[in-house]
Amino acid sequence: MTIANQRGQQLRHIVGINEEIKKVIATAFIINLTAMNAIFLAKRASTVALGFGVLSKELRRFAIDLQKQMAMLSEMTYESVSTVTALLKQARLNQMLERTMGVCSGLGKSLVEDALDSRLNGFLADRQEQSDAVNHRLSEMIADTVQLVELGSVLARSARIEAAYGGKLSVSLTQVSSDFELSIGEIQGSLEKLTKHQFEESAA
Amino acid sequence: MKTAETIFEDGGHKWIAIVRDPKRPHYLIDTNEHLIVQDDEAILCDPGGSEIFPAVFSALSAEFDPSQIRALFSSHQDPDIISSLSLWVEFNPNIKCYLSWLWADFVSHFGGTEKTFVVIPDAGMDIFVGGLRLQAIPAHFLHSPGNLHLYDPKARILFSGDIGAALLPPDEDGLFVENFDRHIQHAEGFHRRWMGSDKAKRDWCERVSRLDIDMLCPQHGAIYRGEDVGRFIDWFANLEVGVLKSA
Repeated sequence: MTIANQRGQQLRHIVGINEEIKKVIATAFIINLTAMNAIFLAKRASTVALGFGVLSKELRRFAIDLQKQMAMLSEMTYESVSTVTALLKQARLNQMLERTMGVCSGLGKSLVEDALDSRLNGFLADRQEQSDAVNHRLSEMIADTVQLVELGSVLARSARIEAAYGGKLSVSLTQVSSDFELSIGEIQGSLEKLTKHQFEESAA
Repeated sequence: MKTAETIFEDGGHKWIAIVRDPKRPHYLIDTNEHLIVQDDEAILCDPGGSEIFPAVFSALSAEFDPSQIRALFSSHQDPDIISSLSLWVEFNPNIKCYLSWLWADFVSHFGGTEKTFVVIPDAGMDIFVGGLRLQAIPAHFLHSPGNLHLYDPKARILFSGDIGAALLPPDEDGLFVENFDRHIQHAEGFHRRWMGSDKAKRDWCERVSRLDIDMLCPQHGAIYRGEDVGRFIDWFANLEVGVLKSA
């Protein structure tokens, strides 16, 4: 596989990451709305649903934090696209220069050799370092997000337990807590795919 | 690989045509690049697309040190004319690219920096290479709305971009036009379809008729020389242009 093809594959993985980020942001928005609804329900259920109310507020905060985290991830993927696109463009130029060297002789060949050497040791090396740094930061942020979502999952499970003590509104609260679990399950699925794309992007 | 043919030489003043590549992939249109040399400086007219850069660079470097190319002249904005810009900039970051003011902001998408482009006004301008005066001649709307040709009064050669271009079959692809009537059949469809303005065509014919031209060098096809130059201008003046199909 040529370097240009590898860069192309990296870009496709970044597109994959971005698609999953969009899904997570949309789901986090739904969790936020569901949590607001749950806070009102808990108020109606009064003292029997105090625990559920606290958990709903925590889930709402979780949804807001997750949206912020995903917005930062999105910005980082934009940075990644810029770096990989620049590397792709440079790889294409290198390919043309290598082809040129293949058909040149004498002065032409030595000029192309010098140009390729200075490219590989200068600008391209710097860009590669930049790309590695962005990938590293992206991995760290994804790991942080996975932890955050784990917390959300615990909150949703606790909300389900608390729903059982919701008195007359117990059925409605159970339904809401199931919605939380379902949404967080979707987010976990997206994060798994996102992690896979990120791993393959770094490996490409 | 392309070949470099010297078509004019007078001491340190030369015109080198970089032409024909038998190994060129069939889906790429064939192009001619012209290098105008004055002593140790040169300008390259319509340097070509990035896909053919290896062939152009290789043929050119056999005749001239490519790092001495001070400038590129881009007759218009098409990819087969100037998409190799970023590669030429690699060899000389200070290289200048002369082109119509209309296209500087567009062609910069192919490469170069703010300092690369020297814009030519609609009326044209003089360009100096190693003390040699060249004239950028307006050819707007033929076919591009910002189109220029390059005239060398000393060598009496006009680089005419797409005007005079012919799509030649492999068995009739000599460097010079040898049989005008036969050759022009390969140019007719191209000129009818690509050249969109009859008024611009008449203006151009009138303008270049006043110049002393020994050779008219298009970016595709063969070079017109001697009496064929006048023949071509007369033929073009009478051709109906801006039509979808040949009559």
